[in-house]
Amino acid sequence: MRYIVGVDIGGTFTDCVVLDRAAASGVVVRIGKALSTPPDFQTGFVDALGAAADMHGAALPDMLGDARIYHGCTVGTNALVENKVARVGLLATRGHTDTIFHMRAGARLKWMPSHYIAHVARQTKPAPLVPKHLCAAIDERITFDGAVLVELNEDQARAAIRRLIDEGVDAIAISLVWSTANPAHEQRLRELVREVAPAMFVSISSEVSARTGEYERTIATIVNSLIGPPMRSYLDALGGDLAAHGYRGDLQIMSCTGGLIDADHAAALPVLTIGSGPVAGLIGAANLARAAQPGGTSNVVTADIGGTTLDIGTIYQARPLRRPTASHGQYEYFVPTLDVRSVGSGGGSIIRAAEGVLKVGPESAGARPGPICFGRGGREPTVTDAAAVLGYLDPDYFFGGRLKLDRDAAERALAALGAQFGMDGRQTAAAAMRIVNSQMADAIWLTLTQQGYDPRDFILYGFGGGGGVHAAAIARELGMAKAVIPLSDLAAGWSAFGITASDALIALSDAVSMASPFDAAPINAHWRSLEQRVTDRLVAQGVPADAIRLSHHAELRYALQVNQVPIEVEGGVYDAAAVARMVTTFEREYERLYGKGAGYAAAGFQLTSLEVRGTAALADVDMAAIGAGEAGDAATPKGHREVHGRSGTVLTAIYDGARLPPGHGVAGPAILEFPDTTVVVDERSSVGIVAGSVVIDLNPIKDA
Amino acid sequence: MATTATDFEKQWNGRVQSYRPGPGWKRRIAPGVTMHTEALDAIDPVDFEVIRQKLWTINIAHGDTITRISGSPVLATLDFNMSILTEDAEVVLNAPYVQFLNAGAPLGIRYILENYGDRPGIDDGDIYCCNDPWIAACHQMDVMFAAPVFIDGKLFGWVANAGHQYDLGGIVPGGWPQNAEDVYSDPVVLPPFKLVAKGEMRKDLEALYLRQSRLPDMVALDLRAQIAGVVFARDQVRELCTRFGAATVKAAMRAMLDQAQANFRRKLALIPDGVWSETRYVDEPLPGIRNAQRTQLTVTKRGDRLKIDNAGTDAQTLGTNGIPYCTWSGSITGIISISMLFEQLFAYGGSERQIDYDPTPGTLTCVNHPGATSGGILHAVTMMNAVQAILSRMMATAPEIKGDLVAPTADFALPVLVGTNDRDQFFGQAILDSFACGSGARSFGDGVDTSGPTYSPLSMILNVEQLEQWYPMVYLYRKDDADSGGAGKWRGGNGLRTAITPYRARSMSIVTNTGGQGATTQNGQGLFGGLPSPAGHYRIRRGTDLTAWFGRGALPGDIADLDADETINLSGKSNGTDLGTGDVFEVRIGGGGGYGDPIERDAPLVARDFGLGAISAAALGDVYGVVLDEHGGVDAAATDARRQAMRDARARWPHTPWDGHNGAPVPATGEAPRLVHEYVQAADRGGERVLECANCGERLSAYDQSFKTGTLYVEEKVTALPGAPDPAQFLDDAMVLRRYCCPGCKTQIAAEIARGDEGIFPEMRLIPPEG
Repeated sequence: MRYIVGVDIGGTFTDCVVLDRAAASGVVVRIGKALSTPPDFQTGFVDALGAAADMHGAALPDMLGDARIYHGCTVGTNALVENKVARVGLLATRGHTDTIFHMRAGARLKWMPSHYIAHVARQTKPAPLVPKHLCAAIDERITFDGAVLVELNEDQARAAIRRLIDEGVDAIAISLVWSTANPAHEQRLRELVREVAPAMFVSISSEVSARTGEYERTIATIVNSLIGPPMRSYLDALGGDLAAHGYRGDLQIMSCTGGLIDADHAAALPVLTIGSGPVAGLIGAANLARAAQPGGTSNVVTADIGGTTLDIGTIYQARPLRRPTASHGQYEYFVPTLDVRSVGSGGGSIIRAAEGVLKVGPESAGARPGPICFGRGGREPTVTDAAAVLGYLDPDYFFGGRLKLDRDAAERALAALGAQFGMDGRQTAAAAMRIVNSQMADAIWLTLTQQGYDPRDFILYGFGGGGGVHAAAIARELGMAKAVIPLSDLAAGWSAFGITASDALIALSDAVSMASPFDAAPINAHWRSLEQRVTDRLVAQGVPADAIRLSHHAELRYALQVNQVPIEVEGGVYDAAAVARMVTTFEREYERLYGKGAGYAAAGFQLTSLEVRGTAALADVDMAAIGAGEAGDAATPKGHREVHGRSGTVLTAIYDGARLPPGHGVAGPAILEFPDTTVVVDERSSVGIVAGSVVIDLNPIKDA
Repeated sequence: MATTATDFEKQWNGRVQSYRPGPGWKRRIAPGVTMHTEALDAIDPVDFEVIRQKLWTINIAHGDTITRISGSPVLATLDFNMSILTEDAEVVLNAPYVQFLNAGAPLGIRYILENYGDRPGIDDGDIYCCNDPWIAACHQMDVMFAAPVFIDGKLFGWVANAGHQYDLGGIVPGGWPQNAEDVYSDPVVLPPFKLVAKGEMRKDLEALYLRQSRLPDMVALDLRAQIAGVVFARDQVRELCTRFGAATVKAAMRAMLDQAQANFRRKLALIPDGVWSETRYVDEPLPGIRNAQRTQLTVTKRGDRLKIDNAGTDAQTLGTNGIPYCTWSGSITGIISISMLFEQLFAYGGSERQIDYDPTPGTLTCVNHPGATSGGILHAVTMMNAVQAILSRMMATAPEIKGDLVAPTADFALPVLVGTNDRDQFFGQAILDSFACGSGARSFGDGVDTSGPTYSPLSMILNVEQLEQWYPMVYLYRKDDADSGGAGKWRGGNGLRTAITPYRARSMSIVTNTGGQGATTQNGQGLFGGLPSPAGHYRIRRGTDLTAWFGRGALPGDIADLDADETINLSGKSNGTDLGTGDVFEVRIGGGGGYGDPIERDAPLVARDFGLGAISAAALGDVYGVVLDEHGGVDAAATDARRQAMRDARARWPHTPWDGHNGAPVPATGEAPRLVHEYVQAADRGGERVLECANCGERLSAYDQSFKTGTLYVEEKVTALPGAPDPAQFLDDAMVLRRYCCPGCKTQIAAEIARGDEGIFPEMRLIPPEG
C-alpha cells in the first residue's frame, strides 16, 4: 500500500492524515480537514479524504485504490450526547434491576467538576439510560464462586423478552450478577432473544466487559446496546460510500483500548470506539516517544488542547497508562481504555468576572458561537481571544489564512471586562492567559499526583489546536525541562496521525476471584482460553497468526486493601514458581506506586483479573522517516510582531516553522508558525527542530 | 454569656467540658511560638485566583495521598476529610467528603497552641495526633493528624486530616459500642500528643498508639497514610510560599476567608431577623431502654450574625446518645458549607467569624467527660438534619437563596455483620447502604432518589459483587423503596431496601446502630407542610421457604413474599442477633423530607410516580388526593373533588391552643409584603405588621409570633405517614404527627413529629425591626 490514511471525526472538524510512503523524500504526510457533517458523518469523511488527496496532488479514486484506511469515529459518542440512540431493553437478575438507577449514590459525582459537587441543591441524576418499564427482572442467580444458586427460569425469561419486544425495543442489554464468574445464563438468555428476534442487537455483560462490579459492567453493556444500531448503520453507509470512491480494502476502527479493531468487531462492541480519538493521540505520542524521543526522554505527559477541553494522558517509559473505566456524564462504566482525563479548559473557555475575581472557564463558547475574534457571533471573550490580543496569533495567518481574526473586537471585550480590575485589554488578556495556563498545569499536576508520579520527571507534548500556544507555559509551570510540539504541524491533526501509527490490538480479560495461595491450574486454564480467543479474533481481523505478539497481564490486591494493581506477567505454563514470581512482581509494583511498607502482606493476596493482549503491526510507520522527510532551509525570521506579556510589549521574531532547518536553535522570545499550529516561545526558552518535532528547552531555574 | 474570659477558659478546658478557645486564647500561646502574620495589603486578583486554585488542588491531592497509601476499604469510602488552615487555625479549605469529620482541626490546633507551645513545643517537622472528643475528634474512631507549616522559622499555617480507623479498642470491635455506659467502655481516648518530632516518628508513642487496637497492623497502615498526607500537603504549601512569597500566599488565604465571610454576611443580610428552632429526638440511651431523649437547636439571627444554642436539650445520661461540642459545632459548619458557601468550595472558615456558639455543657449535644461518645456519632446526622431544617426555613425567606435549600435527608442506619465464613475466616463489617439514602426535596423540585447524603456528596455504595466477595452472603435485592421519601408538593428522594441471606457462612450475627429515630419514628423532616420521611427498619424473617423458591427457579421480589416461621424487627440499637441458613435480613434505608402541601403537587407528577412505583396506592389517594382513570392517567374531575374533600376535612381540624390573634400588635413598618415561608408572608394590615397566608391573605399571627398560632391543626399517629412503622414497638413515649393548615384556604403549611407531651413547636419567631 502506498497511502496510509488516518481519519478522525471530531465534533467540529474531520481530520484526515495521509502518509505517502512512496514519496521521493521519504514518507510525506499531509493533513486534509473538512467540517464534520452530523448525523451523516460519512459525508465529512469523504470530504476530508478529498482535501488530503488534493494536498498530495492525487485524484481521490487513485489514492483510495492504493490505500489502507484507519478510522477513529465519534458516531457512538455523538449518538449518546445527542440522545439519538436505540431503544434498549435490559434483562437483569431479579432484585438488581434498580442498580442502574442507584448509580452507586455519590460515586456518580466522582469525576464531576468541583463546583458541581459543592452545590448540592443543584445536583441531580441524569435521565435513565433505560426507562424503568424496559428493565426486566429475570429469575436466576449465580454466586461469587460461579455456582448456580437459582437456575435460569427460561419460561419466565421468554415472557420477559417477549414483553420487551412488544414494547418496541431495538436492542437488548443483558447483565446478570456474577456473570463474570459464570456466563452460562447470559449466553442462554442471548439464545432465547435470538429465538424470538434473530436480528436484534444484543450485548451481554460478560463479553462487553468482564470485570467484577455489576453497576459499571451493566452501564457498559447498556451503552454498547444504545449505540449498536446507529453504529451499524453508519458503518454500512460508510462502507458503501468508500466503495463508490474506489476503496477496496477493509476498514480498521480505532478503539479506546489503544489499537485498531476490524469493522465487524466495532459493530459488535461499539462501546470500544467511545473516546478513541484522544486515545489515538496518546498512542501516536507514545510511538514517537519510543522511536525518536524528541526531548530526550520517554516519560511524557500529553496535553491535547482543543476548543472546549484539555485531554491529559500519561506515558511512563514509553507506555501509556491505562485504566479500567470511562465515563459518560455521571455514568461510569467498565471499558479497557488508555487513561485520558478531560478537564473543561481550552481555547473556547470563557473569561469572566465573578465575585470580584477574574475566572476562566469551565464554561466554553465551543465551536459555535466560538471566540469573539472568529466573528461568528461570539460575545464573551475566550482564551483564543486573549491569544489573539496578546499577539500570539497572526490575524491574517490563522488556520493558514483560512480564518481572519477580528483582534480589535476581542480587545474591546477584554478591556470592558478588565476595567473593574483596572486593567486594559492586553493586561486582561495576559491575566487570563496566566490563569488558564496555571489551571491546565494544576489539572496535570493533580492527575500525575493521583497516578503516583512527579511531573518534574516528565516532559510535555502539546498538540491539538491550542497545543503550541500553551505547551511551554504549562510545562514551565510544572517544573518540566522541555515541551514538545510533536511532528510540528501534524500536532493539529495528531489524533488522526496517531490512528495511522496504531497496531491492531485485542485485549480480553477474565474476572477472577482467587485468594492466595494461588492454584496454578485454573490460572493456566484462563491463559489458554484467553490466548485462543485473542488469536482467533486477530486472525479474523486479517492479521497473520505468526505476526501476533501476546502479552499477559494480571491484577492483584492485598487481601485487606482495596488498591488493585495491574502488572505485566510472563506467559507460558504456570507452576508454583511462576505464581510466586507474579506475586513478587505485584509487590514490587505496589511499592513503586504507593511507597515502601504500604502493602499488608500478612493477610495474603487476591487475584482479581487475568488479561491477554494481542497486537500486530498494521501500517508499520517509521516515525524517524517522517521526521526526516522534509528539511527546511530558512533559519532567519520571516518577520516580527509585537507580543504582549506581563513584563510589557516585546518585538518578537516570527519564524516559518516548516522552513526551519533541523537542529537549528533559536533563542526566545519567538513564535513559530505552521499552517495549522502556532508555537509560542518565551524569552527564557530556546527552540529547535529535532526529528521533525518542535522542541522547546525551558531552561528551568533550579529552585521551586 | 456572663462569664469572663478567664472563667470561660477554666470551664471549657477539655477536661470535663469540651475545649473551646476563649476570647483571649491567642494571648495564651507560648512566646516561643513565632506566628507568621505578614500578608500583602492588597493581592493581585490574578495571583489570588492562581493561588486559590493551587491550594484547592493541594488539598484534594492530600486526600488522594491518604486513600492511595492506606488502601483501606474504610478510607476508600471517603470516611475522612482534610483541610488547610492559617497560623491561628482558621479553616481556609475543607473537602467534599464527610462534612463534619475534620471539624476538630481548628479546635485541636488551638488547644495545641495554648497548651503545648512551650513544652513539648511546636517545631518544623512536627506532627500532632489526637482522638479526644473533648478536644478535637467527632468520636474516638476519627483520628486527627495536624502538621504545622513553617516558613523561615515562623508558623505560617497548618494542614490537617481526620480519618476513621478500623479499631482502637473498647468493649466492641470496630468502635461503635451501643452498650457503653460511659467513656471507659469506649475506644481509647488520646489527647493531642506529638507523634512525629522534627521529622522523626516517636517509636515509643507509635507503639503506644497501635497497642490500643485489635488490628494494629491495619491501623499502622492508616497511620502511615494519614502522616504521608499531611507531610505531602505541608511540603506543597511550603513550595507555594517559595514560589509566590509567603506574604502573597498568606494574603490569598486571608482573602479566601474574607470572601467566605463576606458571602455569608451577604446572604444573612437577605434574611429577616428572627429565631428558628428545631427539636429532634434520639432513641434508646442504651439498648432496650424504651425512651426517646430530646435535643433542641436554636438559631437566633440578628443583622449579619448568628447565635446558636442547644437550650432545651436533655441532660446527658448513661449511654450512647451524646455528642461532644466538636461534633455539634462541626454539624453546623458542615451544613452551612453545603447550603450557603458552595461558591467557596468548602472554604467555610470565614463564616465562623459570624457565629456565636452558646452551648449548655452536660447536655446530649455537648456532653461532658466521662460520657460515652463513640457509639453516638450517628446522631451527628440527626443534628445536621436539624441544622438543615433551620437553615432551609431561613433561606426560604429570601428569593435569592431559596433555590439553594434542601430538606433534611435520612438518618443513618448502620447494620453490622459479624461472624465467620465456611473457610473459618472472621468478618465484621458494616453494610453502608445508607450512603444511598434519598435526599430532601428542594424549593423548585423533588429530592433525588438514592442520591446519597447531602452532607457528604461523594459518599458511595459498593457493588453487590464486591460485597459478596468479601462477606459470606447473597444480596437478594437492593431496590428502590416506595414512599420512603416524604410526601409534598415536591417529594423527598426515595431510599432503598436491601435484603441478604447467609451464603457459605459458618456463623452470622447482626448488630444495629441507628441515628436519631431512624428505626422507630421518622427520617428527614418535611418543610412547609411537606411530610417527614418515614422511619426505616431492620427486619429478620426466620425459617423461610427460600430454598424452595430457589429450587423452583424463583427469587422473591420482597421478603414479605416468603413464608416464614417468625418475623422480628430489631431496634435501632441491638447487640447481636443470629442469622442462619434460610433466614433473611432486610434493612430499609430512608429518603428525604418533603416540601410543601402534598395536595398542591401537580397531579400528573403524582400519576407518574405511581406508575414508576415511587409511591403506593395509599399515598396516591390518601396523601396526594389523586384519582386515576382506567388508563393510569389523572382523572381531573375526580382528583379535584377528592382534594376539595381533603380541604373540607382540614376545615374541621381544631384551632391550635395558642391565641396568637391577641398578641401585642407589632406596628406597621411601611415595607412591602414579603414571603417569610413558602406559604406565609409578612405584611402591613391596619397599622399592624402581621404574618398572613400568602395564598389567601388569612391573618395567622402578629409579626413576632409563631405563624402556627393562627392555624388549624390535627394530631395523628405517626403511622398516618404511608409506610411508617409504629414507634410503639420500641418506644414507650407516645410519638405524634402534627399537621397545620391555614384556616382560610386550608393549605397545609407545616408538619412535625413530636413527643405527645410536647407543646406545639414555634418553628420561627421573627424579631421586629426595632427589636
